[in-house]
Amino acid sequence: MHNERYEELLALHALGALGGVEPELEQHLEEGCEICEKLLGELRQSAALLAFSVPALRPRPELRAQVLAALGPARIDAPATEAQLLPRRTRWWLAAAAAAVLLFIADHTRLTVQRDRLQGELAGTRSRLVVAEGEAARRAQTSAGAADLAARLRSAEADLARRDLRVRVLESDDIRMLFLGGQDPQPGARAKVFWSETAKRGIVVAANLQPLPADRQYQLWVFDQGKPVDAGVFDVDTAGRALVESRDLAGITAAQNFAVTVEPRGGMPQPTGPIVLVGTPAA
Amino acid sequence: MALQPDPDRGLIARIERRDGEALASLYDRYSSRLMGLAFRILGETGEAEEVVQEVFIWVWRAASSFDGGRGTVLAWLLVATRSRSIDRLRTRGPALRAGVRSLEESPEPVSRQDVESDAAGRQWQQICRDAIRELPEDQRRALELAYFEGLTQQEIAERTASPLGTVKTRVRLGLMKLRERVRPYRKGQADA
Repeated sequence: MHNERYEELLALHALGALGGVEPELEQHLEEGCEICEKLLGELRQSAALLAFSVPALRPRPELRAQVLAALGPARIDAPATEAQLLPRRTRWWLAAAAAAVLLFIADHTRLTVQRDRLQGELAGTRSRLVVAEGEAARRAQTSAGAADLAARLRSAEADLARRDLRVRVLESDDIRMLFLGGQDPQPGARAKVFWSETAKRGIVVAANLQPLPADRQYQLWVFDQGKPVDAGVFDVDTAGRALVESRDLAGITAAQNFAVTVEPRGGMPQPTGPIVLVGTPAA
Repeated sequence: MALQPDPDRGLIARIERRDGEALASLYDRYSSRLMGLAFRILGETGEAEEVVQEVFIWVWRAASSFDGGRGTVLAWLLVATRSRSIDRLRTRGPALRAGVRSLEESPEPVSRQDVESDAAGRQWQQICRDAIRELPEDQRRALELAYFEGLTQQEIAERTASPLGTVKTRVRLGLMKLRERVRPYRKGQADA
């Protein structure tokens, strides 16, 4: 029984356009109808003419290298991995994750270098402090210069404490880095917070912040249990950069998020000004 | 017209033995053809390249699945390219799917000129194009919707606002005419 009905079904089957199972056709083919098998093969060949009719189009030259690279480091032995066959969107996320890992590694390296440098500076500052203390002791009898030395001593002590804090935060085992993104008033602003949950202290490295009027300051907030807690105020240099340490935040439970607002100089107990930076801590 | 015998089966055998150079040769021979088909279906260069990459990696892994008794290597590659492209197309929304146009509606941009370099390949391509162009418009349209957009008979009927029975007839007549049109040339070249 080879009529138009079968030809129609076979033609649709050859194109993959049946849209479902045709029990009648399935059974007929299973019964081993050679005529229909042959016709189906020919119709499939005919359908393939559509593919042959399409103009060739050269891919980007880089694709060849990508394909060959995907065979594995040893092209002779290694079949492609599933990861190399992932859809583009998945690969994009993987690439983003890889980039994040690289960024983390770069930052970790930079942090290590920074830590080492700070440790060196700390040792130097301690030495200078010892010298300053000795000098202060020697000149303590002399009123002239005593005030200056005291000021230098206070400055050196503050410097030492700040650097000590930086080292403590940066050396902590649980240090993590969080990105803060610029918000509408200053969309180009950006910052990183290096936060130690055990030390309950953070170091903020900010850039692209606008200089503020003399009566204004940037204020860092840490969100604890959904509520903002004052983490200190800071100014930026003429290039809009800042490197500041948060104040002691031992009273908070956990840092959930960070934000920076513009507030009256000296800071406010609660945020009142526009948010210029905000981030989300990693889980 | 005397058409060349399929010269690619040796490459497939070498690929089965994990010969990367053979895969590179196969890529050089056919990546443009596969890219053309993937682009024709997907209408987007980046995704088309992903399909091409997938196909060649699949060949590397599954070269042993090639059955020389069923057709040429190129036909095998084209089927793989088409099925992967259609799979991607089906994950898109209807609006994007509808954006895929027929050959006549989307002339190739100058920058995307046909890069078929093989003389026999060009000749065969022209034969196929002529055969398709000679089809009545409604038959050609039905075949293209099925082949390049992966539409089912019901979907073709909806798209063309035609009765289902009419669509079936158009598909049958179109494919049968193509079969007759290229029968004199078919010596393995179009085997699928």
